[in-house]
Amino acid sequence: MTEIEKEIKITGNERPKIGVYICHCGVNIGGVVSVPDLVEYAKKLPNVEVAQEYKFFCSDVGQKMIKEDIEAGKVNRVVVAACSPRMHEPTFRIACKEAGLNQFLFEMANIREHSTWVHMKEPDGAYETAKDHIRMAVAKARELVPLEVQKVKVEPSCLIIGGGIAGMNSALDLATEGYKVYLVEKTATIGGHMAQLDKTFPTMDCSSCILTPKMSEVSREKNIELLTYSEVVEVTGYIGNFDVTILKKPHYVDQEKCTGCGICVDYCPVVVGNEFDLGLATRKAIYIPFPQAVPGQYTIDMDHCIKCGICARQDVCEPEAIVYDDEPEEIKIKVGTIIVATGWDLYDPTELKQYGYGKYPNVITGLQMERLLSSFGPVIGKPVRPSDLKEPHSIAFLQCVGSRNFREGGNQYCSRVCCMYATKQARQYKEKHPDADVYIFYMDIRAFGKGYEEFYESAGRNYGINYMRGRIAEVTEDDDHNIIIRAEDTLLQQPIELSVDLFVLSCGLEPRADADIITSLLRIQRSADGFFLEAHPKLRPVDTLTEGIFIAGVAQGPKDIPDAVAQAKGAASSAAALMAQGEVEIEPFFAVVHAERCIGCGMCVENCAYGAIELVDDKRFGTVAKINEALCKGCGACSGNCRCSAIDIKGFTGEQIYSIITGRV
Amino acid sequence: MSDNVEKYIKRKVYKSTSSRIAQKFVDAGLEKLRACINCGTCTGGCPSGRRTAYRTRSAIRKALTGDESVLQDIDIWLCSTCYYCYERCPRNIPVTDMIIKLRNIAVEEGYILDSHFGLANNIFYATGHGVPANGEGNKRWRDLRESYGLPPLPPTVHSYPEAVKECQDLMKEVGFRELMDNAARLKEERAKKEDENKEE
Amino acid sequence: MSEEYKWRYGFFLGCVIPNRYPMIEASIRSVFDHLDAELIDLPGASCCPAPGVFRAFHIPTWLVIAARNISIAEELGVNPITGCNGCYGTLRDAWYELEHEFELKKEVNKYLAKINRVYKGNLEPKHVVQALYLDMGIDYLKDHIKLKFSDLKVAVHYGCHIVKPSDKRPWKGEYEQPQFLDEIVEITGAKSIDYKDKYMCCGAGGAVRTAVKEVAADFTREKLVNMRDAGVDIIIDCCPFCHLQLDLGQMEVNNIYGDIIGEQFNIPVIYITQLLGTAFGMDPNLLGLVKNHDLQGVSPFISVDPFLNIVKEQLI
Repeated sequence: MTEIEKEIKITGNERPKIGVYICHCGVNIGGVVSVPDLVEYAKKLPNVEVAQEYKFFCSDVGQKMIKEDIEAGKVNRVVVAACSPRMHEPTFRIACKEAGLNQFLFEMANIREHSTWVHMKEPDGAYETAKDHIRMAVAKARELVPLEVQKVKVEPSCLIIGGGIAGMNSALDLATEGYKVYLVEKTATIGGHMAQLDKTFPTMDCSSCILTPKMSEVSREKNIELLTYSEVVEVTGYIGNFDVTILKKPHYVDQEKCTGCGICVDYCPVVVGNEFDLGLATRKAIYIPFPQAVPGQYTIDMDHCIKCGICARQDVCEPEAIVYDDEPEEIKIKVGTIIVATGWDLYDPTELKQYGYGKYPNVITGLQMERLLSSFGPVIGKPVRPSDLKEPHSIAFLQCVGSRNFREGGNQYCSRVCCMYATKQARQYKEKHPDADVYIFYMDIRAFGKGYEEFYESAGRNYGINYMRGRIAEVTEDDDHNIIIRAEDTLLQQPIELSVDLFVLSCGLEPRADADIITSLLRIQRSADGFFLEAHPKLRPVDTLTEGIFIAGVAQGPKDIPDAVAQAKGAASSAAALMAQGEVEIEPFFAVVHAERCIGCGMCVENCAYGAIELVDDKRFGTVAKINEALCKGCGACSGNCRCSAIDIKGFTGEQIYSIITGRV
Repeated sequence: MSDNVEKYIKRKVYKSTSSRIAQKFVDAGLEKLRACINCGTCTGGCPSGRRTAYRTRSAIRKALTGDESVLQDIDIWLCSTCYYCYERCPRNIPVTDMIIKLRNIAVEEGYILDSHFGLANNIFYATGHGVPANGEGNKRWRDLRESYGLPPLPPTVHSYPEAVKECQDLMKEVGFRELMDNAARLKEERAKKEDENKEE
Repeated sequence: MSEEYKWRYGFFLGCVIPNRYPMIEASIRSVFDHLDAELIDLPGASCCPAPGVFRAFHIPTWLVIAARNISIAEELGVNPITGCNGCYGTLRDAWYELEHEFELKKEVNKYLAKINRVYKGNLEPKHVVQALYLDMGIDYLKDHIKLKFSDLKVAVHYGCHIVKPSDKRPWKGEYEQPQFLDEIVEITGAKSIDYKDKYMCCGAGGAVRTAVKEVAADFTREKLVNMRDAGVDIIIDCCPFCHLQLDLGQMEVNNIYGDIIGEQFNIPVIYITQLLGTAFGMDPNLLGLVKNHDLQGVSPFISVDPFLNIVKEQLI
């Protein structure tokens, strides 16, 4: 942003001198209506001093034309009739500013999207509406007053919600750059779902081997305050100045005293299902989620603890770290930016009764298969089938479970990673059991990333994995709990009925079940597929529509680890760009109360979704409304509802709007 | 020499596709047909497909590419309309309704089995019932009804001849009569042509 | 509605029930009367029309004739009720379609106007089992049970159109593994036996039986083999066309596929109201279970005497 050296002073005594610049926009406008005629029309409007046309006003040459008129004193209000303000309002505002004119003395008339593009086949009608738009813009321009952008400070700290691979990468990047990072994680350890994976495609890197060093780095990094087993409960404020309240859940184990020795686990009498192993193994009521958890301190699951007191005995817990009466703690922090990296849930295939998940023991999900393959999982990396704990001689994978489903309530999107993770799992199993029959039933194989197609080719050629093109219709079970699969080999147009020992459902990724909590806390949106909405699908993939809040990882949409890391770095970079500037400009379009007209009824206070209005005592006028400009978003709800016309939105005042309406008619 | 030509030379290469059949679906509001990605779920669970040559997915594909054989072969008439394909299609295509529509188009073009034609023309149109109990040949069924304490003819169209006329009038108005006559005519023409070809 | 009756329906007979399996009609009439549900006749009703054949020939004809049938019930102010999955499929799908396509309803009424009829669509077509399970409820049925079977193994056969298309049925979208018919069967003390491909189609519908009898018979053969392997005493169904296919079809399977089925099949095929009626303590003569004639070539083609023997042994 260039700094202006000169500024033209506009006072109330000066008459508005409006310059109207009508753009051809190539043939988009010029090919439908007669721009020279529009120019003649504009010249006749009151207060219009200059009217010009050009092929592309957004170009350097075009902008120069406008600037020259300003600098020569010919105009002190600028109207550009061209495309949508969403395209070029910033361009022309800057041009005005560079020429010395307050950037808010500029108004745009959209005669492309609102006229020539929608009435391409009716040029006469387009011409009439174009005239209307220009006349309205000129009417508004007449009433414009100079406004100043607000500058607010940006706190050099960032809140990252979610401690998975994306959250951790953002945290490390920002911390290295010197910013303070609060990394809040709901569970008792960072690492996320990646910690549950055994190997990662296509390199077959051991997931823990590449993840745990990052986890250690995060815990060592001084600029990162790691808040595990914690949740964000309140967020107020605005870009650069968010006030966040975090609830630290009670571990019932003193995190300073606990040495992570694990002796208490041997003594605890309560055995429950292990969430990390997805029900395939057990844990005790006192636990850490998995051996390499960071932090390495223990937690008591109070929902199942029977308070027998054994772990608290001195001969069990030497450091005396057990605290049965632990309380949750609330902390309040102030941050400048927020990154949401909350990850995903696996699709639950129980509702697909034709696949028997939950009914037949030998039907498992892809993530459960991952735990079976894991070297620190329930079977130490030697998968067995649940019914008899024998190693399966035949396995079938089914792709697109819970994804690409256009039925009522189904997830329509493709989950992106399942083709690759099934190929990976199949390959892992074949490596140890070359004689096993491994089938992957698919509709399409999506191997789009770097090294992915090569990985897929090798799976067929080197490992002999049978790719069957046909989505499985239904399965049944025989007396030995083998799974009988019915599908069509579509490439042979042949129905098949196969019996396999183990059936793996390659389930897709879904948005977190509690994503609604995040959307209401931060007031960010979700797209139709349920993941968080980016500001622009192509050009702003890590921003949200709320300034200062960014998204990264699968929270924004299904993706593999390389893409999640890339996005995390992108979000960190965007957050850093904001924090590096130290301050940010806010458009001055917020509400202002004319206290003399306000009767203090309080309706605006109730209407404000952002809590930006309060009633105060004014010496002259009694109880009146007062706007907190920092919180005001300029939505206009207060202004529209005010019975006394006592509130205006700067840049869209009652007079300006009335002028447009009368100008229209 | 020419036996081998007969046996091995097929020259079956499709030169183009035709949207003639698909367009009829679109016009009838059944454009969902075009969302098919050939995943095979329909055929995979089809109880007919695993005992006949009927392939649900192929029938839909033939409709989409305009392969006329789908209207002429018996395969689409071996679908028992169990609706599993309709329920399980991931693209939410009402598959069974597509097969029914294909049958409609086949009948329009005169492709209807003799047994079905007889059922439609001589039984349904004539009596108003698909499985009648009137007439000499069905006396034993009327006697059976009486043995269970029921009147020999049920209070349906069988007992109300004016109701039979109502049905027939409706069928004339809505085009069923014409459809049957047209089918009969087309079948006859085809049979004649086949006889002529055989004589050659 | 008369004072003693709690429910009132228009009995849509269809074709197979009155004209081939009148014992089913007898049992439905007797059981509904016993349960204080009134069944009034729908004079002049025709074939529904059958969804597999006539809808396949010409959808508009099917829609208009179906609307005519429903309008007969509407005129009498009652919900049409049927004991046949095929008729249920037709009446219900036609009703659903006409309720969701306003233009279509107008078109259909133009045709009906020519015979001085009008279709309103305000009365939902129901199935006998729907009335038993949803209108009356399991507890109400349980209250009428007088006698229970001690050891009756039942192969429950739902058929297809009572359950699918599930978006047009009252079972909340359940179609893979419905339980409602099993529940009704089990209040009689009988045990519903799980058998391979329990929910598979019998093969009769969709014009298959009328196209190629042998193909329909092969469906039936597969079902009968699975039922026999599971060790069942009888088959219970809720559709007369399935009933026909499993009964007359059983005889056909014995003939056509006699060389691959091993022993010949002779599993009695019983309609749901016939089973319920016996458990309600009703006279088997009222339920169409007793043969009172010497006719040849009529239903049932597979003797139901084994079932009557079980009734004598276990219930009386």
